[in-house]
Amino acid sequence: MQPISEDPELLRAFLVESHELLQGLDHDLVKLESSPTDHELLNQAFRALHTIKGTASFLKLEPIVRVGHSAEDVLSGIRQGRLQFTSRIMDALLAARDQLGSMLADLHAGGLKKYALDDLLNELERVQSGEASPYQIENEDHGSAHAKDVPSISSSEAAIVSNLKQKDAAVPSDATAVQSMRVDVRKLDELINLIGELVLERNRLLQLAKEISSGRAPVQSSDSPLLHCALRLSFITEELQAAGLRTRMVPMETVFAKFPRMVRDLAHSLGKEVELVVRGQETEIDKTMVELVNDPLVHLVRNSLDHGLELPDVREQASKPRRGTISLQAEHEGDHVLIRITDDGAGINHDRVLRKAVEKGVVSQEHAERLSRKEINELIFLPGFSTVENPTDISGRGVGMDVVHSNLRKINGSIELDSTPGAGTIVTLRVPLTLAILPVLLVRVAAEVYALPLRSVEQTCRFDPGDAHLVEDQEVIWMGGQAFPLLRLQTLFLHQPRKTPTAEQKIVMLEAGERRLALLVDGLLGQESTVVAPLAPYLDCCPGIAGTTVDGDGRVRLVIDPSGLLAVATAVGQAVAQ
Amino acid sequence: MKPGFDGLNRGSNNRHSPDDDASKQLVSFRVGDEEFALEILRVQEIIRHQRLTRVPNCPSFVEGVINLRGRVIPVIALRKRFGMEHKTREGDTRIVVLELGDMVVGIIVESVPEVLRVPIKAIAEPPRIIESQRDYVSGVAKLPDRLLILLDVDRVLAPAKSAPA
Repeated sequence: MQPISEDPELLRAFLVESHELLQGLDHDLVKLESSPTDHELLNQAFRALHTIKGTASFLKLEPIVRVGHSAEDVLSGIRQGRLQFTSRIMDALLAARDQLGSMLADLHAGGLKKYALDDLLNELERVQSGEASPYQIENEDHGSAHAKDVPSISSSEAAIVSNLKQKDAAVPSDATAVQSMRVDVRKLDELINLIGELVLERNRLLQLAKEISSGRAPVQSSDSPLLHCALRLSFITEELQAAGLRTRMVPMETVFAKFPRMVRDLAHSLGKEVELVVRGQETEIDKTMVELVNDPLVHLVRNSLDHGLELPDVREQASKPRRGTISLQAEHEGDHVLIRITDDGAGINHDRVLRKAVEKGVVSQEHAERLSRKEINELIFLPGFSTVENPTDISGRGVGMDVVHSNLRKINGSIELDSTPGAGTIVTLRVPLTLAILPVLLVRVAAEVYALPLRSVEQTCRFDPGDAHLVEDQEVIWMGGQAFPLLRLQTLFLHQPRKTPTAEQKIVMLEAGERRLALLVDGLLGQESTVVAPLAPYLDCCPGIAGTTVDGDGRVRLVIDPSGLLAVATAVGQAVAQ
Repeated sequence: MKPGFDGLNRGSNNRHSPDDDASKQLVSFRVGDEEFALEILRVQEIIRHQRLTRVPNCPSFVEGVINLRGRVIPVIALRKRFGMEHKTREGDTRIVVLELGDMVVGIIVESVPEVLRVPIKAIAEPPRIIESQRDYVSGVAKLPDRLLILLDVDRVLAPAKSAPA
């Protein structure tokens, strides 16, 4: 263990700052590759390294200083025009950045270790002397001829390059991101103001309570001061909750930051040419969502790179530009954040998907022929589904998509896929702005009360038993000239026999992704905004339930997930049919 | 002050008792005709039986969920978990709230739980007779007047993998 400064506060501050600087460095270095003469970027990258090196020196973190210093020299050379930015220099700098990230991670975990830095430092030295590299780290084949001629130099370079490629998308510093965040001061001011109002109202409440309990209060009329106070408290609490949640919102940039580097590295190792376009980085998302959205995004981008985008030659033959494009886009839509991943690759091979689905017994042959393109796309989200014959270590093990799908559903999000063979694929993730509060519609079924997410409720209407019909063992209801599946919670959830229709029964039309369904309930109980908690992992057994909430009496109420409900009904229907 | 949860903590781990090396502190209760016991360290609290909210299409031994001070936790019917005959609830049922890593789960027991201290020497390997519960049993405690079946909390609460009942 290296000796470090005694002050944990200083160390913590150093880690937070350096982590941010390294993330920015990642970003800047990748950008520099495509615009090597951008002086602003160069200066920014140089400053980042310089700052890290400086503080590390003060804290006597020698290995960090050594790497930082060497990398700084290289950047300095470029700034002064002595060196040209080449692929080789880029790889060396990225390797240095990764080494720094890994050292920071070790520091965070307890302390620096002993490092074998000679290879890296020598390489950084060599690139400074402007030696022409015999080993071109490019994807075209003409580099390889040279590589065979010069054994000793290329072996250590190759080591660095392969080391670099192995890091893949596992950029070390990310995993140890310190648990703190930046918050706009205005949001904090808002919070403090509301708390001030809360305090005033609480004082009023205390006073009223004392008056009432000592008998000094005036007769309670319907216009009572107590009611007013309670209403006002309720209002302030709501505002406070919203403002509090707002402080936890961070821009999507936090999630998108790692992608330029990841895409670059992956593209290089796959031999593909890719341009990454990122839009909507300022779109805000709840910090807790960041972790939930991160893995699916990484998985989806990897998918695009690995399976979606074709090799440059193949693209050329298909009259597409050699360089493929992947775009990441985020925007707000109502109370959700929409994240779109688009690629202009080969799209999903519908025939292969169908074949696999029939093979796995997911759909019968006849049913398969009747599936719409959208429905075929959705087959991909089923467990164990992978059409890659030889799964690479990057993706394709068949555990990805269904996990993404179910994780998103657990947080009331959704994922949709649209693909055109030959043209590309668009994957759209919908994620609620915040996990916490959900406006719901309360409904009664037999003796139970369920909560339906209000955003999924299209309309409610009276139930006329004459509208219900049986079509191929599935009950449907005709409305406005269309047939919708009619679901009875009584059967699905409570396993009770159907009862005679009553006049109070209502139909609630729900949206389930692209489809709509009609839910038969025994009564509507009004709307509420409530805190929803996802189901404990232990209860991962019912796809129709999105989570739980607690009612005014303290009893647990189930929140329904319309898409899941449809899935349950379909499964039940299939079971009945068989 | 509880020791950290080790997911691989199976079977006998007698050295982690909160007290001296010679005895363990256990919580015992009845389910059906038998008496079981758990290490007290895993027991978060014991509450009166409450009205559960059923969660549809769950394995049959998951009775439902309850609200524990704002946290919704699943509750398991040990009787069903052990494959015993169903019986209607009688007087003294309680819910023993256990912690399983960062999960909190309740189990329904059929007597008011007792806390007792059992000498380590009285604890033995489970006899082969108790076949059906073999998986969840970590040992047997021979007390002067009765026999306690020691449950392995992690195994008893192993996440519901089976298909809906």
